[in-house]
Amino acid sequence: MSDDAGFITLFTEFGHELRNVGLPIGSDDVMAYCSAIAELNPSDILDVYWAGRSTLVSKRDHIPLYDNVFRSFFLDEKAEFKSENRLKIKASSSAQAVIDIPAPESGSPGTAEEELRMGLQASTSELFRNKTFASCTPEELAALRRIMSSIKLTPPRRKTRRKMASSKGSLISMRRMVRETMRAHGEPRDLHFTKRRLRLRPLVLILDVSGSMADYSRNLLQFAYSAQRAASRVEVFCFGTRLTRITRALDRRRPDEAMNMAAGLVFDWDGGTRIGDSLEMFTRQWGRRGMSRGSIVVICSDGLDRGEPEVLAHAMEKLSRLCYRIVWMNPHKGDSRDFAPTTLGMMVAEPYIDEIVSGHNLKSLEEFSTTLTALR
Amino acid sequence: MTLDNHASRALPSSVQELTDVLRSDGYIADRGLSTALYIALTLGRPLLLEGEVGVGKTELAKTLASLFGRKLVRLQCYEGIDTNQALYEWDYARQMLQIRALSESEMKEDAVDKLFSAKFLLERPLLEAIRAGDQCVLLIDEVDRADDEFEAFLLELLSDFQITIPEIGTIKAQSRPIVILTSNRTRELHDALKRRCLYNWIGFPDPAREVEIIQARIPDVSEKMANRVVAAVNRLRDMELAKPPGVSETLDWVAALDALGADELTAQSADDTLGSIVKDRDDLELVRTNIQEVVSSV
Repeated sequence: MSDDAGFITLFTEFGHELRNVGLPIGSDDVMAYCSAIAELNPSDILDVYWAGRSTLVSKRDHIPLYDNVFRSFFLDEKAEFKSENRLKIKASSSAQAVIDIPAPESGSPGTAEEELRMGLQASTSELFRNKTFASCTPEELAALRRIMSSIKLTPPRRKTRRKMASSKGSLISMRRMVRETMRAHGEPRDLHFTKRRLRLRPLVLILDVSGSMADYSRNLLQFAYSAQRAASRVEVFCFGTRLTRITRALDRRRPDEAMNMAAGLVFDWDGGTRIGDSLEMFTRQWGRRGMSRGSIVVICSDGLDRGEPEVLAHAMEKLSRLCYRIVWMNPHKGDSRDFAPTTLGMMVAEPYIDEIVSGHNLKSLEEFSTTLTALR
Repeated sequence: MTLDNHASRALPSSVQELTDVLRSDGYIADRGLSTALYIALTLGRPLLLEGEVGVGKTELAKTLASLFGRKLVRLQCYEGIDTNQALYEWDYARQMLQIRALSESEMKEDAVDKLFSAKFLLERPLLEAIRAGDQCVLLIDEVDRADDEFEAFLLELLSDFQITIPEIGTIKAQSRPIVILTSNRTRELHDALKRRCLYNWIGFPDPAREVEIIQARIPDVSEKMANRVVAAVNRLRDMELAKPPGVSETLDWVAALDALGADELTAQSADDTLGSIVKDRDDLELVRTNIQEVVSSV
């Protein structure tokens, strides 16, 4: 290919184009691409396409982007970069704008009075305007967030298949026995044992950012951020009407940057609530694939669901079979010890919940971190 | 690096040839997969396959092994897998016996060296693959199930095809094995691992290709039946099931229908054999209520 410098320039430029739209492509990837094409036929557009697909793309999500760039670069087609198609490197803060709660798509018939009592009128509820996060001034909140970042979340542990040396163990460590026996000239003196290692269980946070939880949700996001930095494996999701995974966005060193990224990803910030559908989506897309297996799932919501109760019950049942424990954090619980769920959503979900905690102020969050470690 | 020095059968010299060879063994690959595989073979790089469950990721490695007359070395990953299960382990029981057998006078410096020689080394899949070189196809199955520590450990193997054993030294592959990694995307793999591999996403095949796959795998099924089953399977895939059926489920279904002697896909025969294609209780209920629509020939 030495006389094909033109080709190489072309393919390198193509690599640059891809990099411009946000694909992480290194020089070695471009080199691999060029050597791949050298093995194929550079004048066959299909070869050029597939060589790039297998050397320059390493994530399924990047395939549409690659296709777009390929079309505009090699086929001179006008590329249509929809805003959501472009990789979100810079998150816009405009997505934080308040959206009105949409009317429920299908509501089960019931008297208005009944609905009020059960809290279906999510936006008008005045229940939680107490001395909680909701009543703090922005300055107080900022201070609280700093303190929140110091709360260390330690999920409970479980035994793994890996082993470590231990005098209290029950399995003989053959490796150590051989070493020791050699040292003792062939005469084994003591028995050495191993036991199974312990590992932190994964933690999945599913945060409600809908209208009825708006006052808490931004704090919760901060909480999620500090949780992710403290515990080993944490996945964070937000939901209102739909579920958004924000784990990657929160994976930033600077809190403000992480928060803005995460906020930018969530479209239905302050919108309505469809807990059932969102949890269903979680079990379908993530839970079944193994993300929540053996994990502690923390759902942060007031349980004011605007979807069908059956959907929620079904989703909770599925979720409870896919994870180790479900903790529901409900700010409405407040400080009361004998809290009984009053919202329909909470009533429906309750049989599947292992622990209900409040999260309405700093103290309760600290309590939560203790409860979490003690979960069995 | 060329691979065809000692292989029992030379590697194909074009994408088309590779596709044809795969087809001859009953594996119908699309252009994307063939090209990725061809590049992987010629450049001697590992190939990472991701895709829905049951679309033939593992099957590809098996096919390659049988096609090119190589040994299939399979490492099934699971949580907590470590070097002892993936790479090598010392045969402690034999070492113990050896120590006991040696008399006092024989316990010298070199006795220890002998204890940690190849004689007492138990080969595990990765070491076996390194030693076999281009005589084998290494399948690292479901990498996403292993924990990330293990992924880091694979890096040395995948970039340099060598393994370091402290007591012995570095063992380098004489020639590169064909390496296939598969992942079901239960979690995102590390970029460092991905960078060492070529990548291909295997989706569900289009209906025509799926019919072809059925006919290649289960030859005595009529084309009409294959078409009907594929149409039904595609309807199932559109139904928002918790677990949409993969190609392997399609094949299972055809085999099940065949075993029952059904020569027609009816609501009755579909219902009887539903367990081979839908494997979730909620999904079963959903499909059962819509069974007429699923099997309809329109």
